[in-house]
Amino acid sequence: MTKGILIFAHNNEYVDYAKLALVSGSLAKKYLKMPISLVTDKHTLEWIKKSKIDSDINNVFEQIIEVPPPVTNNNRHLYDGKDKSLVPFTNINRCSAYDLTPYDTTLLIDSDFLIFSDALNNYWDVCDDVLIAESVVDAVGQHRLGHLDHHISDTGIKMRWATTVMFEKNEKTRRFFNLISYIKDEYEMFADLFRFNPLQYRNDISFSIAKHIMDGYTEAETYHLPTLLTVLDRDILIDVKNKDLIFLFDEKNETLAGKIQGRDVHIMNKQSLIRNASNILESI
Amino acid sequence: MNFGYLIIISEHAEVDYLKLAYALALSIKNTQKEGYDKVALVTDKAERVNELKSPWVFNEVIEWNEQSYWDGRSWMDQLSPWENTVCLDADMLFTRDYSHWIDYFVEYEDLYVANKSFTYRSEKITSDFYRKTFTVNHLPNLYSFYTFFKKDSDIANQFFTLGRWILKNPNEFSNLFLSDYKPKVLGTDEAFALSSKILGIENDIAYDLDFPRVVHMKGMVQNFPWPANNWSDHLGFYFNTNGELKIGNFEQTDIVHYVEKDKITDEHISLLEEIAWQK
Repeated sequence: MTKGILIFAHNNEYVDYAKLALVSGSLAKKYLKMPISLVTDKHTLEWIKKSKIDSDINNVFEQIIEVPPPVTNNNRHLYDGKDKSLVPFTNINRCSAYDLTPYDTTLLIDSDFLIFSDALNNYWDVCDDVLIAESVVDAVGQHRLGHLDHHISDTGIKMRWATTVMFEKNEKTRRFFNLISYIKDEYEMFADLFRFNPLQYRNDISFSIAKHIMDGYTEAETYHLPTLLTVLDRDILIDVKNKDLIFLFDEKNETLAGKIQGRDVHIMNKQSLIRNASNILESI
Repeated sequence: MNFGYLIIISEHAEVDYLKLAYALALSIKNTQKEGYDKVALVTDKAERVNELKSPWVFNEVIEWNEQSYWDGRSWMDQLSPWENTVCLDADMLFTRDYSHWIDYFVEYEDLYVANKSFTYRSEKITSDFYRKTFTVNHLPNLYSFYTFFKKDSDIANQFFTLGRWILKNPNEFSNLFLSDYKPKVLGTDEAFALSSKILGIENDIAYDLDFPRVVHMKGMVQNFPWPANNWSDHLGFYFNTNGELKIGNFEQTDIVHYVEKDKITDEHISLLEEIAWQK
């Protein structure tokens, strides 16, 4: 039974997901000591060469899996502190993780999820199905999160966070990923059924609905991956020293400085992460 | 084992409680094992039962109209024909087999009153929006909608006798025991809670258990992000031909206390009857 980590990276003109994947993959490899593979496309591979990180990428990832670039007319706002940009959301092909992964058991992580511990290694041997992060906790406090950070709609099901997903290849998980693919294709119909806003495609919503359906339309008391420690995109990563991530947090129109040390963390401000990529890579 | 459910209703100008009790009895017959599916009905108009298509779902029909005050449930211990009884509210539905709960109560308890409830999303209800009296006066959080008792039990006898006294004398008991926050109406839940507190038995009859699980569909405690008097303004209520019930996107597997009395239609009754006839 092979085990490994999978990261998707499809660059757009605004976000260098390849660099994020390099950072995230390097940390995952260091702390989890597991093989790791990258799913990407030819344009991103060209950019990897052009930006001269190809040797680093090849060192970190044991397999580079090339797929057609995802086609999307899906846009979303990305914040970098108070700055805001409307950018294409290209990360829509995660439903293909089942078919693409070279591993029997896979930990699928977002490229903006940084691993600084071996906590996730505790789950490999208990995962015989699909495990998803149960919820999020804001690094500053839960008061900054709203109902729709925990549910997909006002009256709807709980939001699971597809930032971290672990699955074993079997018939049940194959159906699970097929269902996610179907939900993605029929997103507006599912938006009517589950009453969420379909304006922007979200992997989290598709994964949450698929999990809910596979659990028999109930909030089944099943196992989950750990709650995600999350830094919102209105916060800014300003420095990295060893395991210390130093942030400026936006709290009620005031700015707080703080650090996160030795914890796996989901950093939603991708631009500030890219600005600090070299620092993080040097510290590994 | 002599066990049965008990439903107590009376005629009402706006609500057909017999229809609700009939739906509940059908759902019990459709989901519970033999020996755990007996239902007794207490009503002030027994002749109406014969108008139902399947009156046999009520194993016992007891005509009773001796008390004029609004809630006859406080007389459940006097009225039940069973040695072991679970008294239910009429506006409830069973969605799966709960007979293992009964095995526990019969084996270990003389009296047990539900003390928690859940939203349609299976979240434990923590809001006291409708239960300020309980919080402010430090009453145990009892729900009379699921009350188990043994007929020959001393503790049950004392508990129900005092409960009846409280319901007959609401002003006096509110004045003495609920002065920090007087309820507008001292109902059965408050009377049972106060009775258990005065007798000092709240930890014996309402300790923490994983069951009974009852979904309590009062609008303001459903964890909606906005105020909602009626849950049905925001959620669908879907019965299928197998008698399975969804509220919103959630399959219901616990007892559902739907509260809004118009939710049970003739169509729902027909579906439940079809299943009962095929069983």
